[in-house]
Amino acid sequence: MSSTEQGTSSAAPAEPTTAPESAAAPEVPESFYYVHGKDKVVHKVSAGALQHSALIHGMISNLGYTEEQAKANPFPFENIDGDILQMVVDWCNQHKGKPTPPEDTNLPKQKEKLFDLVLAVNYLEIKELLTYCCKQVAMMVKGKSPEEIREIWMIPTDAEDEAAEKEAKKRAGKEAAGETAAAAGDAK
Amino acid sequence: MTFLETILACWQHIKDKLPKKSKRRFPLLKLPRVVLLECIGHLDVLEIILFSLLSKRAKSITKLIRWNPPIIHLTNDQQIQLKLSTDPGVTWIIAYVNYKELSKYPYFQSNIMGPEVNHFLLLKDNGNAVEDIKPMIEHICEVFRSPIFGITILNESLIEWLINFQPTIQSSWVCKDVITVKTLERISKNLKVKQFLGFDSVTIDEKFKFTETLPCTSISIHNSFWITLPSILNGNNSIIRLYGSELSPTDINVILKEWYLGWKLRDLEYMVIHTTTLLDTDSYVREMFKDLNMTISVTNDGRPTTVKLNHEWTITLPDEELVNNLTRSDGKILSIFGHYELFADEKTKIFLNLQVWRQQS
Repeated sequence: MSSTEQGTSSAAPAEPTTAPESAAAPEVPESFYYVHGKDKVVHKVSAGALQHSALIHGMISNLGYTEEQAKANPFPFENIDGDILQMVVDWCNQHKGKPTPPEDTNLPKQKEKLFDLVLAVNYLEIKELLTYCCKQVAMMVKGKSPEEIREIWMIPTDAEDEAAEKEAKKRAGKEAAGETAAAAGDAK
Repeated sequence: MTFLETILACWQHIKDKLPKKSKRRFPLLKLPRVVLLECIGHLDVLEIILFSLLSKRAKSITKLIRWNPPIIHLTNDQQIQLKLSTDPGVTWIIAYVNYKELSKYPYFQSNIMGPEVNHFLLLKDNGNAVEDIKPMIEHICEVFRSPIFGITILNESLIEWLINFQPTIQSSWVCKDVITVKTLERISKNLKVKQFLGFDSVTIDEKFKFTETLPCTSISIHNSFWITLPSILNGNNSIIRLYGSELSPTDINVILKEWYLGWKLRDLEYMVIHTTTLLDTDSYVREMFKDLNMTISVTNDGRPTTVKLNHEWTITLPDEELVNNLTRSDGKILSIFGHYELFADEKTKIFLNLQVWRQQS
Protein backbone atom coordinates (compact mmCIF):
# COMPACT_ATOMS: atom_id res chain seq x y z
CA MET A 1 0.00 0.00 0.00
CA SER A 2 1.20 3.47 -0.70
CA SER A 3 0.69 6.41 1.57
CA THR A 4 -0.54 9.70 0.19
CA GLU A 5 -0.02 13.34 0.97
CA GLN A 6 -2.23 16.24 0.11
CA GLY A 7 -0.52 18.79 -2.13
CA THR A 8 0.15 20.02 -5.60
CA SER A 9 1.75 18.16 -8.42
CA SER A 10 5.12 19.46 -7.30
CA ALA A 11 4.58 18.41 -3.68
CA ALA A 12 7.05 15.91 -2.33
CA PRO A 13 5.59 12.45 -2.48
CA ALA A 14 5.17 10.51 0.69
CA GLU A 15 7.19 7.38 1.26
CA PRO A 16 5.31 4.11 1.12
CA THR A 17 4.63 2.91 4.63
CA THR A 18 3.72 -0.70 4.03
CA ALA A 19 5.29 -1.48 0.71
CA PRO A 20 5.39 -5.26 0.40
CA GLU A 21 8.89 -6.58 0.75
CA SER A 22 9.32 -10.24 0.07
CA ALA A 23 12.15 -12.24 1.57
CA ALA A 24 13.46 -13.03 -1.89
CA ALA A 25 13.57 -9.38 -2.98
CA PRO A 26 15.72 -8.72 -6.03
CA GLU A 27 19.16 -7.36 -5.37
CA VAL A 28 18.72 -4.50 -7.80
CA PRO A 29 16.87 -1.70 -5.95
CA GLU A 30 13.36 -1.22 -7.20
CA SER A 31 12.59 2.02 -9.00
CA PHE A 32 9.56 4.12 -8.10
CA TYR A 33 7.35 6.43 -10.07
CA TYR A 34 4.80 9.01 -9.06
CA VAL A 35 1.23 9.61 -10.16
CA HIS A 36 -1.48 12.03 -9.13
CA GLY A 37 -5.14 12.44 -9.87
CA LYS A 38 -7.59 15.33 -9.92
CA ASP A 39 -6.88 16.07 -6.22
CA LYS A 40 -3.13 16.47 -6.88
CA VAL A 41 -2.28 13.97 -4.17
CA VAL A 42 0.89 12.25 -5.30
CA HIS A 43 1.18 8.49 -4.98
CA LYS A 44 4.53 6.75 -5.02
CA VAL A 45 4.25 3.45 -6.82
CA SER A 46 6.89 0.87 -7.68
CA ALA A 47 7.64 0.07 -11.29
CA GLY A 48 6.59 -3.52 -10.57
CA ALA A 49 3.12 -2.44 -9.44
CA LEU A 50 2.76 -0.05 -12.36
CA GLN A 51 3.38 -2.87 -14.80
CA HIS A 52 -0.32 -3.71 -14.45
CA SER A 53 -1.11 -0.49 -16.32
CA ALA A 54 -0.25 -0.78 -19.99
CA LEU A 55 -0.64 3.00 -20.34
CA ILE A 56 1.80 3.93 -17.55
CA HIS A 57 4.16 1.12 -18.47
CA GLY A 58 4.26 2.48 -22.02
CA MET A 59 4.89 6.02 -20.75
CA ILE A 60 7.76 4.86 -18.54
CA SER A 61 9.34 2.89 -21.39
CA ASN A 62 9.04 5.81 -23.80
CA LEU A 63 10.21 8.56 -21.44
CA GLY A 64 13.15 6.68 -19.95
CA TYR A 65 12.91 8.72 -16.70
CA THR A 66 15.49 8.47 -13.96
CA GLU A 67 14.05 8.22 -10.45
CA GLU A 68 14.86 11.90 -9.80
CA GLN A 69 13.13 12.99 -12.98
CA ALA A 70 10.15 10.80 -12.12
CA LYS A 71 9.96 12.35 -8.65
CA ALA A 72 10.00 15.84 -10.10
CA ASN A 73 7.39 15.02 -12.75
CA PRO A 74 4.58 12.85 -11.42
CA PHE A 75 2.32 11.44 -14.13
CA PRO A 76 -0.78 13.61 -14.05
CA PHE A 77 -4.19 11.94 -14.43
CA GLU A 78 -6.44 14.95 -14.12
CA ASN A 79 -9.45 12.99 -15.32
CA ILE A 80 -9.29 10.54 -12.39
CA ASP A 81 -10.65 11.39 -8.94
CA GLY A 82 -8.12 11.11 -6.13
CA ASP A 83 -9.96 8.39 -4.20
CA ILE A 84 -10.36 6.33 -7.38
CA LEU A 85 -6.67 6.65 -8.22
CA GLN A 86 -5.92 5.58 -4.66
CA MET A 87 -8.01 2.44 -5.19
CA VAL A 88 -6.17 1.69 -8.43
CA VAL A 89 -2.75 2.23 -6.86
CA ASP A 90 -3.72 0.02 -3.91
CA TRP A 91 -4.85 -2.73 -6.24
CA CYS A 92 -1.65 -2.52 -8.29
CA ASN A 93 0.45 -2.73 -5.11
CA GLN A 94 -1.57 -5.65 -3.74
CA HIS A 95 -1.19 -7.60 -6.97
CA LYS A 96 2.43 -6.68 -7.68
CA GLY A 97 4.28 -9.65 -9.10
CA LYS A 98 1.47 -12.02 -8.09
CA PRO A 99 -0.74 -14.14 -10.33
CA THR A 100 -4.15 -12.51 -10.38
CA PRO A 101 -6.86 -14.62 -8.70
CA PRO A 102 -10.04 -15.49 -10.67
CA GLU A 103 -12.20 -13.29 -8.43
CA ASP A 104 -11.57 -10.06 -6.56
CA THR A 105 -14.02 -9.21 -3.82
CA ASN A 106 -12.33 -5.99 -2.71
CA LEU A 107 -13.92 -3.79 -5.35
CA PRO A 108 -16.23 -0.99 -4.30
CA LYS A 109 -19.86 -1.94 -3.88
CA GLN A 110 -21.21 1.58 -4.48
CA LYS A 111 -22.32 1.80 -8.08
CA GLU A 112 -21.16 5.40 -8.55
CA LYS A 113 -17.64 4.59 -7.36
CA LEU A 114 -17.55 1.47 -9.50
CA PHE A 115 -18.50 3.50 -12.58
CA ASP A 116 -15.63 5.93 -12.00
CA LEU A 117 -13.28 3.04 -11.24
CA VAL A 118 -14.21 1.29 -14.50
CA LEU A 119 -13.51 4.48 -16.48
CA ALA A 120 -10.16 5.00 -14.73
CA VAL A 121 -9.08 1.39 -15.11
CA ASN A 122 -10.04 1.43 -18.76
CA TYR A 123 -8.09 4.66 -19.29
CA LEU A 124 -5.04 3.28 -17.49
CA GLU A 125 -5.36 0.01 -19.43
CA ILE A 126 -5.24 -2.36 -16.44
CA LYS A 127 -6.62 -5.43 -18.09
CA GLU A 128 -7.12 -7.78 -15.12
CA LEU A 129 -8.70 -5.12 -12.93
CA LEU A 130 -10.98 -4.12 -15.79
CA THR A 131 -12.12 -7.74 -16.07
CA TYR A 132 -12.92 -7.84 -12.33
CA CYS A 133 -14.80 -4.55 -12.56
CA CYS A 134 -16.83 -5.73 -15.56
CA LYS A 135 -17.72 -8.94 -13.73
CA GLN A 136 -18.84 -6.82 -10.78
CA VAL A 137 -20.99 -4.71 -13.10
CA ALA A 138 -22.58 -7.88 -14.52
CA MET A 139 -23.20 -9.17 -10.97
CA MET A 140 -25.38 -6.12 -10.23
CA VAL A 141 -28.27 -7.58 -12.18
CA LYS A 142 -28.04 -11.19 -10.99
CA GLY A 143 -31.55 -12.46 -10.35
CA LYS A 144 -33.15 -9.10 -11.20
CA SER A 145 -36.33 -8.57 -13.18
CA PRO A 146 -36.22 -6.63 -16.49
CA GLU A 147 -37.55 -3.51 -14.80
CA GLU A 148 -34.98 -3.78 -12.03
CA ILE A 149 -32.22 -4.16 -14.64
CA ARG A 150 -33.55 -1.09 -16.44
CA GLU A 151 -33.48 0.82 -13.17
CA ILE A 152 -30.04 -0.32 -12.00
CA TRP A 153 -28.33 0.21 -15.34
CA MET A 154 -30.40 3.27 -16.29
CA ILE A 155 -31.51 1.82 -19.63
CA PRO A 156 -33.93 4.20 -21.37
CA THR A 157 -37.06 2.88 -23.01
CA ASP A 158 -37.41 3.09 -26.81
CA ALA A 159 -39.64 6.14 -26.39
CA GLU A 160 -37.04 7.86 -24.21
CA ASP A 161 -34.29 7.02 -26.70
CA GLU A 162 -36.36 8.42 -29.57
CA ALA A 163 -37.13 11.60 -27.65
CA ALA A 164 -33.44 12.05 -26.78
CA GLU A 165 -32.46 11.50 -30.40
CA LYS A 166 -34.98 14.09 -31.58
CA GLU A 167 -33.70 16.54 -29.00
CA ALA A 168 -30.08 15.94 -30.05
CA LYS A 169 -30.99 16.50 -33.71
CA LYS A 170 -32.83 19.70 -32.83
CA ARG A 171 -29.86 20.94 -30.82
CA ALA A 172 -27.41 20.06 -33.60
CA GLY A 173 -29.62 21.91 -36.11
CA LYS A 174 -29.71 25.00 -33.90
CA GLU A 175 -25.93 24.89 -33.41
CA ALA A 176 -25.35 24.54 -37.14
CA ALA A 177 -27.68 27.48 -37.81
CA GLY A 178 -25.83 29.51 -35.18
CA GLU A 179 -22.46 28.71 -36.72
CA THR A 180 -23.72 29.69 -40.21
CA ALA A 181 -25.03 32.99 -38.84
CA ALA A 182 -21.73 33.67 -37.05
CA ALA A 183 -19.75 32.87 -40.20
CA ALA A 184 -21.97 35.23 -42.20
CA GLY A 185 -21.43 37.93 -39.56
CA ASP A 186 -17.64 37.44 -39.76
CA ALA A 187 -17.74 37.72 -43.56
CA LYS A 188 -19.49 41.08 -43.29
CA MET B 1 -49.57 8.96 16.32
CA THR B 2 -46.60 10.11 18.38
CA PHE B 3 -44.53 13.13 17.50
CA LEU B 4 -41.66 10.90 16.38
CA GLU B 5 -43.96 8.84 14.11
CA THR B 6 -45.28 12.05 12.55
CA ILE B 7 -41.75 13.25 11.84
CA LEU B 8 -40.83 9.86 10.35
CA ALA B 9 -43.96 9.83 8.17
CA CYS B 10 -43.15 13.34 6.92
CA TRP B 11 -39.57 12.36 6.18
CA GLN B 12 -40.73 9.27 4.29
CA HIS B 13 -43.14 11.42 2.28
CA ILE B 14 -40.34 13.88 1.37
CA LYS B 15 -37.97 11.02 0.57
CA ASP B 16 -40.51 9.45 -1.82
CA LYS B 17 -40.93 12.77 -3.61
CA LEU B 18 -37.19 13.23 -4.11
CA PRO B 19 -35.62 11.86 -7.29
CA LYS B 20 -33.80 8.61 -6.70
CA LYS B 21 -30.15 9.12 -5.97
CA SER B 22 -27.98 8.38 -8.97
CA LYS B 23 -25.40 6.63 -6.77
CA ARG B 24 -27.85 3.76 -6.40
CA ARG B 25 -27.66 3.24 -10.14
CA PHE B 26 -25.03 2.55 -12.76
CA PRO B 27 -25.21 4.36 -16.12
CA LEU B 28 -24.11 1.35 -18.13
CA LEU B 29 -24.70 2.88 -21.55
CA LYS B 30 -22.34 5.74 -20.73
CA LEU B 31 -19.38 3.37 -20.54
CA PRO B 32 -16.96 3.30 -23.48
CA ARG B 33 -18.25 0.80 -26.03
CA VAL B 34 -15.47 -1.78 -25.51
CA VAL B 35 -15.98 -1.76 -21.73
CA LEU B 36 -19.73 -1.90 -22.09
CA LEU B 37 -19.41 -4.98 -24.29
CA GLU B 38 -17.08 -6.63 -21.80
CA CYS B 39 -19.62 -6.04 -19.02
CA ILE B 40 -22.42 -7.52 -21.11
CA GLY B 41 -20.11 -10.38 -22.03
CA HIS B 42 -20.14 -11.53 -18.39
CA LEU B 43 -23.92 -12.00 -18.31
CA ASP B 44 -25.37 -15.47 -18.36
CA VAL B 45 -27.71 -16.69 -21.09
CA LEU B 46 -30.97 -15.64 -19.41
CA GLU B 47 -29.57 -12.27 -18.38
CA ILE B 48 -28.44 -11.63 -21.96
CA ILE B 49 -31.98 -12.30 -23.17
CA LEU B 50 -33.57 -10.08 -20.51
CA PHE B 51 -31.13 -7.25 -21.18
CA SER B 52 -31.60 -7.43 -24.96
CA LEU B 53 -35.38 -7.19 -24.49
CA LEU B 54 -35.14 -3.87 -22.63
CA SER B 55 -34.94 -1.64 -25.70
CA LYS B 56 -33.92 -1.53 -29.35
CA ARG B 57 -30.60 0.02 -28.30
CA ALA B 58 -29.96 -2.70 -25.73
CA LYS B 59 -30.73 -5.31 -28.38
CA SER B 60 -28.41 -3.78 -30.97
CA ILE B 61 -25.61 -3.56 -28.36
CA THR B 62 -26.13 -7.21 -27.41
CA LYS B 63 -25.94 -8.21 -31.06
CA LEU B 64 -22.46 -6.68 -31.35
CA ILE B 65 -21.04 -9.54 -29.30
CA ARG B 66 -20.33 -12.81 -31.05
CA TRP B 67 -21.83 -15.13 -28.46
CA ASN B 68 -21.10 -18.78 -28.18
CA PRO B 69 -24.22 -19.94 -30.09
CA PRO B 70 -26.60 -21.96 -27.93
CA ILE B 71 -28.46 -25.02 -29.13
CA ILE B 72 -32.09 -23.90 -29.15
CA HIS B 73 -35.02 -26.26 -28.63
CA LEU B 74 -38.73 -25.69 -28.22
CA THR B 75 -40.00 -28.59 -26.16
CA ASN B 76 -43.44 -30.13 -25.87
CA ASP B 77 -44.15 -28.40 -22.55
CA GLN B 78 -43.85 -24.89 -23.98
CA GLN B 79 -40.28 -24.44 -22.87
CA ILE B 80 -37.50 -22.79 -24.82
CA GLN B 81 -34.35 -24.64 -23.86
CA LEU B 82 -30.86 -23.36 -24.55
CA LYS B 83 -27.64 -25.28 -24.10
CA LEU B 84 -24.07 -24.24 -24.73
CA SER B 85 -21.75 -26.80 -26.26
CA THR B 86 -19.05 -25.55 -23.87
CA ASP B 87 -21.20 -26.34 -20.83
CA PRO B 88 -23.37 -29.37 -21.65
CA GLY B 89 -24.46 -29.93 -18.04
CA VAL B 90 -26.27 -26.60 -17.87
CA THR B 91 -29.65 -25.92 -19.48
CA TRP B 92 -31.19 -22.46 -19.64
CA ILE B 93 -34.95 -22.69 -19.81
CA ILE B 94 -37.61 -20.09 -20.55
CA ALA B 95 -40.91 -21.59 -19.46
CA TYR B 96 -44.39 -20.14 -19.85
CA VAL B 97 -46.38 -21.14 -16.81
CA ASN B 98 -49.36 -20.11 -14.79
CA TYR B 99 -48.55 -21.09 -11.23
CA LYS B 100 -51.04 -19.76 -8.71
CA GLU B 101 -48.40 -19.66 -5.99
CA LEU B 102 -46.27 -17.25 -8.02
CA SER B 103 -47.35 -13.67 -7.42
CA LYS B 104 -44.62 -12.06 -9.49
CA TYR B 105 -43.25 -12.77 -12.96
CA PRO B 106 -40.62 -13.22 -14.25
CA TYR B 107 -39.42 -15.68 -11.66
CA PHE B 108 -35.99 -17.28 -11.54
CA GLN B 109 -35.40 -20.80 -10.32
CA SER B 110 -32.49 -23.24 -10.50
CA ASN B 111 -32.63 -26.99 -10.05
CA ILE B 112 -29.60 -29.18 -9.53
CA MET B 113 -29.98 -32.80 -10.55
CA GLY B 114 -26.71 -34.66 -10.04
CA PRO B 115 -24.16 -33.14 -12.39
CA GLU B 116 -26.84 -31.24 -14.32
CA VAL B 117 -28.23 -27.80 -13.59
CA ASN B 118 -31.40 -26.27 -14.98
CA HIS B 119 -31.81 -22.52 -14.75
CA PHE B 120 -35.40 -21.43 -15.27
CA LEU B 121 -36.86 -18.10 -16.22
CA LEU B 122 -40.58 -18.46 -15.60
CA LEU B 123 -42.80 -16.16 -17.61
CA LYS B 124 -46.53 -15.78 -17.26
CA ASP B 125 -48.65 -17.89 -19.61
CA ASN B 126 -51.58 -15.68 -20.47
CA GLY B 127 -53.48 -18.50 -22.09
CA ASN B 128 -51.80 -18.43 -25.48
CA ALA B 129 -48.17 -19.14 -24.73
CA VAL B 130 -47.44 -20.39 -28.27
CA GLU B 131 -48.07 -16.88 -29.61
CA ASP B 132 -45.65 -15.46 -27.03
CA ILE B 133 -43.08 -18.14 -27.75
CA LYS B 134 -42.79 -17.27 -31.47
CA PRO B 135 -41.43 -13.71 -31.07
CA MET B 136 -39.32 -14.81 -28.13
CA ILE B 137 -37.61 -17.51 -30.22
CA GLU B 138 -37.14 -15.06 -33.10
CA HIS B 139 -35.52 -12.62 -30.68
CA ILE B 140 -33.22 -15.27 -29.18
CA CYS B 141 -32.15 -16.53 -32.62
CA GLU B 142 -31.38 -12.97 -33.72
CA VAL B 143 -29.41 -12.01 -30.62
CA PHE B 144 -27.33 -15.18 -30.48
CA ARG B 145 -27.16 -15.58 -34.27
CA SER B 146 -28.12 -19.18 -33.80
CA PRO B 147 -30.88 -21.11 -35.56
CA ILE B 148 -33.47 -23.25 -33.84
CA PHE B 149 -32.03 -26.74 -33.58
CA GLY B 150 -35.13 -28.64 -32.65
CA ILE B 151 -38.79 -27.90 -32.31
CA THR B 152 -41.82 -29.70 -31.01
CA ILE B 153 -44.77 -28.69 -33.12
CA LEU B 154 -47.44 -28.10 -30.53
CA ASN B 155 -50.10 -26.73 -32.85
CA GLU B 156 -50.72 -26.10 -36.53
CA SER B 157 -49.87 -22.39 -36.36
CA LEU B 158 -46.27 -23.29 -35.51
CA ILE B 159 -45.90 -25.06 -38.87
CA GLU B 160 -46.68 -21.95 -40.91
CA TRP B 161 -44.54 -19.82 -38.60
CA LEU B 162 -41.61 -22.23 -38.92
CA ILE B 163 -41.91 -22.44 -42.71
CA ASN B 164 -41.61 -18.64 -42.87
CA PHE B 165 -39.05 -18.14 -40.14
CA GLN B 166 -36.69 -21.07 -40.55
CA PRO B 167 -37.61 -23.67 -43.16
CA THR B 168 -34.52 -25.77 -42.47
CA ILE B 169 -34.25 -27.37 -39.07
CA GLN B 170 -32.27 -30.20 -37.54
CA SER B 171 -34.92 -31.91 -35.49
CA SER B 172 -38.69 -31.81 -35.25
CA TRP B 173 -41.35 -33.75 -33.40
CA VAL B 174 -44.96 -33.29 -34.42
CA CYS B 175 -47.30 -33.66 -31.46
CA LYS B 176 -50.31 -35.89 -31.18
CA ASP B 177 -53.32 -34.87 -33.25
CA VAL B 178 -51.66 -31.79 -34.75
CA ILE B 179 -51.36 -33.10 -38.27
CA THR B 180 -53.98 -33.01 -40.98
CA VAL B 181 -53.56 -34.17 -44.57
CA LYS B 182 -52.98 -30.58 -45.62
CA THR B 183 -50.36 -29.77 -42.98
CA LEU B 184 -48.60 -33.10 -43.55
CA GLU B 185 -48.14 -32.09 -47.17
CA ARG B 186 -47.02 -28.59 -46.12
CA ILE B 187 -44.35 -30.13 -43.90
CA SER B 188 -43.08 -32.60 -46.49
CA LYS B 189 -42.89 -29.95 -49.20
CA ASN B 190 -41.81 -26.83 -47.29
CA LEU B 191 -39.83 -27.93 -44.28
CA LYS B 192 -36.39 -29.45 -44.53
CA VAL B 193 -35.78 -31.50 -41.41
CA LYS B 194 -32.25 -32.80 -41.53
CA GLN B 195 -31.50 -35.07 -38.56
CA PHE B 196 -34.71 -36.25 -36.96
CA LEU B 197 -38.39 -36.06 -37.83
CA GLY B 198 -40.94 -37.69 -35.60
CA PHE B 199 -44.72 -37.89 -35.70
CA ASP B 200 -46.95 -38.76 -32.80
CA SER B 201 -50.36 -40.28 -33.58
CA VAL B 202 -52.29 -38.29 -36.14
CA THR B 203 -55.97 -37.65 -36.67
CA ILE B 204 -56.24 -38.20 -40.38
CA ASP B 205 -58.53 -40.29 -42.47
CA GLU B 206 -57.43 -43.89 -42.26
CA LYS B 207 -57.73 -44.15 -46.03
CA PHE B 208 -55.10 -41.44 -46.45
CA LYS B 209 -51.82 -42.78 -47.82
CA PHE B 210 -48.61 -40.81 -48.05
CA THR B 211 -46.39 -41.69 -50.99
CA GLU B 212 -43.83 -38.85 -50.85
CA THR B 213 -40.46 -39.31 -49.19
CA LEU B 214 -39.54 -37.79 -45.83
CA PRO B 215 -35.96 -36.70 -46.55
CA CYS B 216 -34.45 -36.85 -43.09
CA THR B 217 -31.71 -39.03 -41.57
CA SER B 218 -33.90 -40.45 -38.84
CA ILE B 219 -37.68 -40.78 -38.85
CA SER B 220 -40.00 -42.12 -36.18
CA ILE B 221 -43.73 -42.44 -36.81
CA HIS B 222 -46.41 -43.56 -34.40
CA ASN B 223 -49.65 -44.82 -35.88
CA SER B 224 -47.78 -45.02 -39.17
CA PHE B 225 -50.59 -46.56 -41.27
CA TRP B 226 -50.33 -43.63 -43.68
CA ILE B 227 -46.72 -44.28 -44.69
CA THR B 228 -46.55 -46.41 -47.81
CA LEU B 229 -43.92 -48.74 -49.21
CA PRO B 230 -42.82 -46.30 -52.00
CA SER B 231 -42.32 -43.62 -49.36
CA ILE B 232 -39.85 -45.92 -47.59
CA LEU B 233 -38.14 -47.31 -50.67
CA ASN B 234 -37.58 -43.98 -52.39
CA GLY B 235 -36.27 -42.22 -49.28
CA ASN B 236 -32.70 -41.92 -48.11
CA ASN B 237 -33.40 -42.41 -44.41
CA SER B 238 -30.84 -44.17 -42.22
CA ILE B 239 -33.06 -44.79 -39.21
CA ILE B 240 -36.72 -45.69 -39.82
CA ARG B 241 -39.04 -46.49 -36.93
CA LEU B 242 -42.61 -47.35 -37.85
CA TYR B 243 -45.04 -48.06 -35.04
CA GLY B 244 -48.60 -49.19 -35.80
CA SER B 245 -47.50 -49.90 -39.35
CA GLU B 246 -49.66 -51.49 -42.03
CA LEU B 247 -46.73 -52.88 -43.97
CA SER B 248 -47.48 -56.49 -44.93
CA PRO B 249 -44.97 -59.37 -44.93
CA THR B 250 -44.92 -58.97 -48.73
CA ASP B 251 -43.94 -55.30 -48.30
CA ILE B 252 -41.16 -56.28 -45.91
CA ASN B 253 -40.04 -58.90 -48.43
CA VAL B 254 -39.79 -56.13 -51.05
CA ILE B 255 -37.78 -53.97 -48.61
CA LEU B 256 -35.34 -56.84 -48.04
CA LYS B 257 -35.00 -57.60 -51.76
CA GLU B 258 -34.48 -53.94 -52.69
CA TRP B 259 -31.85 -53.56 -49.99
CA TYR B 260 -30.17 -56.75 -51.24
CA LEU B 261 -30.03 -55.42 -54.80
CA GLY B 262 -28.40 -52.25 -53.47
CA TRP B 263 -30.23 -49.63 -55.54
CA LYS B 264 -32.61 -48.50 -52.85
CA LEU B 265 -32.41 -48.00 -49.10
CA ARG B 266 -28.71 -47.32 -49.58
CA ASP B 267 -28.32 -45.41 -46.31
CA LEU B 268 -30.37 -47.77 -44.17
CA GLU B 269 -28.77 -48.53 -40.80
CA TYR B 270 -31.69 -49.52 -38.62
CA MET B 271 -35.39 -50.08 -39.06
CA VAL B 272 -38.15 -50.88 -36.60
CA ILE B 273 -41.51 -52.20 -37.79
CA HIS B 274 -44.33 -52.79 -35.35
CA THR B 275 -47.35 -54.23 -37.11
CA THR B 276 -50.19 -56.72 -36.76
CA THR B 277 -51.23 -59.69 -38.86
CA LEU B 278 -53.92 -62.30 -39.07
CA LEU B 279 -51.45 -64.81 -40.48
CA ASP B 280 -49.81 -67.37 -38.29
CA THR B 281 -46.18 -66.58 -37.56
CA ASP B 282 -44.76 -69.39 -39.74
CA SER B 283 -46.68 -68.18 -42.78
CA TYR B 284 -45.69 -64.59 -41.97
CA VAL B 285 -41.98 -65.44 -41.78
CA ARG B 286 -42.20 -67.60 -44.96
CA GLU B 287 -43.78 -64.69 -46.84
CA MET B 288 -41.29 -62.18 -45.47
CA PHE B 289 -38.23 -64.25 -46.47
CA LYS B 290 -39.61 -65.58 -49.77
CA ASP B 291 -36.90 -66.05 -52.43
CA LEU B 292 -34.18 -64.72 -50.15
CA ASN B 293 -31.06 -66.55 -49.13
CA MET B 294 -31.35 -66.06 -45.38
CA THR B 295 -28.87 -67.54 -42.93
CA ILE B 296 -29.33 -67.98 -39.20
CA SER B 297 -26.83 -67.07 -36.52
CA VAL B 298 -27.21 -68.21 -32.95
CA THR B 299 -24.36 -66.19 -31.45
CA ASN B 300 -23.45 -62.56 -31.92
CA ASP B 301 -20.59 -62.66 -34.36
CA GLY B 302 -19.72 -58.97 -34.26
CA ARG B 303 -23.08 -57.28 -34.73
CA PRO B 304 -23.16 -53.93 -32.87
CA THR B 305 -25.40 -53.98 -29.83
CA THR B 306 -26.25 -50.27 -29.89
CA VAL B 307 -27.81 -47.95 -32.46
CA LYS B 308 -27.65 -44.16 -32.50
CA LEU B 309 -31.21 -43.05 -33.20
CA ASN B 310 -30.56 -39.30 -33.41
CA HIS B 311 -28.35 -36.53 -32.02
CA GLU B 312 -29.59 -37.30 -28.52
CA TRP B 313 -30.51 -40.94 -28.19
CA THR B 314 -28.57 -44.17 -28.53
CA ILE B 315 -30.40 -47.40 -27.76
CA THR B 316 -29.13 -50.81 -26.71
CA LEU B 317 -30.65 -53.56 -28.82
CA PRO B 318 -32.23 -56.62 -27.19
CA ASP B 319 -29.98 -59.59 -26.77
CA GLU B 320 -31.40 -62.03 -29.33
CA GLU B 321 -30.52 -65.71 -29.47
CA LEU B 322 -31.67 -66.22 -33.02
CA VAL B 323 -30.97 -63.75 -35.79
CA ASN B 324 -31.73 -64.05 -39.50
CA ASN B 325 -29.07 -62.58 -41.73
CA LEU B 326 -29.09 -61.44 -45.33
CA THR B 327 -25.57 -60.91 -46.65
CA ARG B 328 -24.95 -58.69 -49.67
CA SER B 329 -22.09 -58.98 -52.17
CA ASP B 330 -20.41 -55.84 -50.73
CA GLY B 331 -20.12 -57.55 -47.36
CA LYS B 332 -22.94 -55.68 -45.64
CA ILE B 333 -25.28 -57.77 -43.53
CA LEU B 334 -28.91 -57.05 -42.78
CA SER B 335 -29.89 -58.79 -39.56
CA ILE B 336 -33.56 -59.33 -38.76
CA PHE B 337 -34.72 -60.21 -35.30
CA GLY B 338 -37.71 -59.59 -33.08
CA HIS B 339 -40.62 -61.22 -31.38
CA TYR B 340 -44.39 -61.54 -31.61
CA GLU B 341 -47.35 -61.48 -29.26
CA LEU B 342 -50.66 -63.30 -29.79
CA PHE B 343 -53.90 -61.47 -29.05
CA ALA B 344 -57.33 -62.80 -28.24
CA ASP B 345 -58.80 -61.35 -31.44
CA GLU B 346 -56.54 -63.75 -33.38
CA LYS B 347 -54.30 -60.91 -34.39
CA THR B 348 -50.59 -61.27 -33.88
CA LYS B 349 -48.46 -58.30 -33.02
CA ILE B 350 -45.12 -58.38 -34.80
CA PHE B 351 -42.10 -56.45 -33.49
CA LEU B 352 -39.26 -56.46 -36.01
CA ASN B 353 -35.78 -54.95 -35.95
CA LEU B 354 -33.71 -54.70 -39.12
CA GLN B 355 -30.08 -53.79 -38.52
CA VAL B 356 -27.49 -53.19 -41.21
CA TRP B 357 -23.89 -53.77 -40.27
CA ARG B 358 -20.58 -54.99 -41.57
CA GLN B 359 -18.28 -57.63 -40.13
CA GLN B 360 -15.09 -55.97 -38.83
CA SER B 361 -11.96 -57.63 -40.19
